[in-house]
Amino acid sequence: MIETHGLGKAYGRGLYALRDLTLTVERGEFVFLTGPSGAGKSTLLRLLLLQERPTEGVAIVNGRNLVRMSHREVQAYRRSVGFVFQDFKLVPSKTVFENVSFALRVLGTNIEQQRRRTYQVLKWVGLQHRLQAYPLELSGGEQQRVAIARALVNEPQLVLADEPTGNLDPDLSLEIMNLFRDINSSGTTVLVATHDRELIKWVGRRTVHLENGRLLEAEAGATT
Amino acid sequence: MNSIGYAVAEALVSLRRSGRSAAISIGTIAIAFLTLGGFLLVSANLQSLVERWASSAELSVYLREDVNDTWRQALVDELSDHAAVAAVEYVSKAAALERFRGDFPELADVAASADNPFPPSIEVRLHTDAASSGAADAMAAGLTEREGVVDVRYDREWLSRLRAIIGAIRLVGATAAAVLILGAAFTVAAVVRLSLQARREEVDIMQLVGAPFSFIRGPSIAEGTILGGLGALFSLIVLWALFASTREQLTAAVAQWGNVETLRFLAVPDALLLVGSGLAVGGLAGLVASRGSR
Repeated sequence: MIETHGLGKAYGRGLYALRDLTLTVERGEFVFLTGPSGAGKSTLLRLLLLQERPTEGVAIVNGRNLVRMSHREVQAYRRSVGFVFQDFKLVPSKTVFENVSFALRVLGTNIEQQRRRTYQVLKWVGLQHRLQAYPLELSGGEQQRVAIARALVNEPQLVLADEPTGNLDPDLSLEIMNLFRDINSSGTTVLVATHDRELIKWVGRRTVHLENGRLLEAEAGATT
Repeated sequence: MNSIGYAVAEALVSLRRSGRSAAISIGTIAIAFLTLGGFLLVSANLQSLVERWASSAELSVYLREDVNDTWRQALVDELSDHAAVAAVEYVSKAAALERFRGDFPELADVAASADNPFPPSIEVRLHTDAASSGAADAMAAGLTEREGVVDVRYDREWLSRLRAIIGAIRLVGATAAAVLILGAAFTVAAVVRLSLQARREEVDIMQLVGAPFSFIRGPSIAEGTILGGLGALFSLIVLWALFASTREQLTAAVAQWGNVETLRFLAVPDALLLVGSGLAVGGLAGLVASRGSR
């Protein structure tokens, strides 16, 4: 699903956020990216979402070379990837329903399907009773569930999450991680960046350690 | 259709949010298009006046008193056959005196006290296009050289000059309007840019979900188009109101210079062109303002 070879991102002369990263994530895998702040976890996710372009190496996702994509191809690629961020990235002026259905609207899905699918996915994350609420009226955990619903609504093959539990208390974090496990169990590849070792231990999946922009080690975790 | 509907809906929300800056932007567009519309209105009415004057163009050929009837009739026939001529009328000395008495009854005594001072003449009415094509000038020059002709009156140079002045008015108007429209376009672009900044976060998220160009830049283009269209429409309404309120006075003033029934407002195609230009300028400003937001 994801293959990187010698992937690197440098800012200025010799200042690397990510260096010589060679990594493979199989289709349907659940992988944690971990490491201290500044290790390069977010940079890797930003490169995989093409928010930034790598300065070195190759990144191939689902057979597509990310290095050589045109702007139009980038937008088409992003429609096949779900993303979840620590700060939720919801549009405050839109309702919960609109935030989620928008991802379908840009795909040209008809209104009836948009409604049905949005309702299904919001029900799945347990927010079917907050459809008309605005993001600022929700708790942190609820906002993150909306973000997860938006990431899933167009049934992506890959979900990227950058510190999705960073703003949540431990109980909510477990709840969110359970959602990611459920997503993965339906065959979707999930890549989660977190520095929460307890959470990683609890979920128990393959973990990739980064430090100073380099891959330290990869370990297989037990499946719970 | 999905993206157009989205763009228009977002643009309307954004316009409501921008409030006063959107109103200022509509105002600057309206001033620019009021200038353009005003010049169009003036030049169209002047043009119509000139065409009316040109259509009534006449040429008077004054004859020597001793020309015989055969020679005179031959000249009348020749002029009647000319392509530039619409009608020919011979005015004898007696007919000329009679006409003078009719036109100036207060001078009847003067006319009665002296010998008839009026020469016989041939009055030639020309086709509308004769003056502009130069055929009338050529004919007048040719007649002057004839032996039995004393004088030829064809003073239509001022019509050509007036046409040149109308051309100059149009040029000045178009230049002034172009400068004002450019300024207005910058104002629209600035307003759209501000709106874009206000929804920066939303645009970033749209990019992350892979929204296509039409969804990301569409609202900005729609916002500019609406601002430009409203500005031009507003200018048209103001222009019409000004015209309607001063129409009678203006018509009376212009009537001194010729046979003017009434002044006319812009023709429908011109009015549509004005509003269309406003839409286009606004849309273009929105497109430019949203550059870099993709």
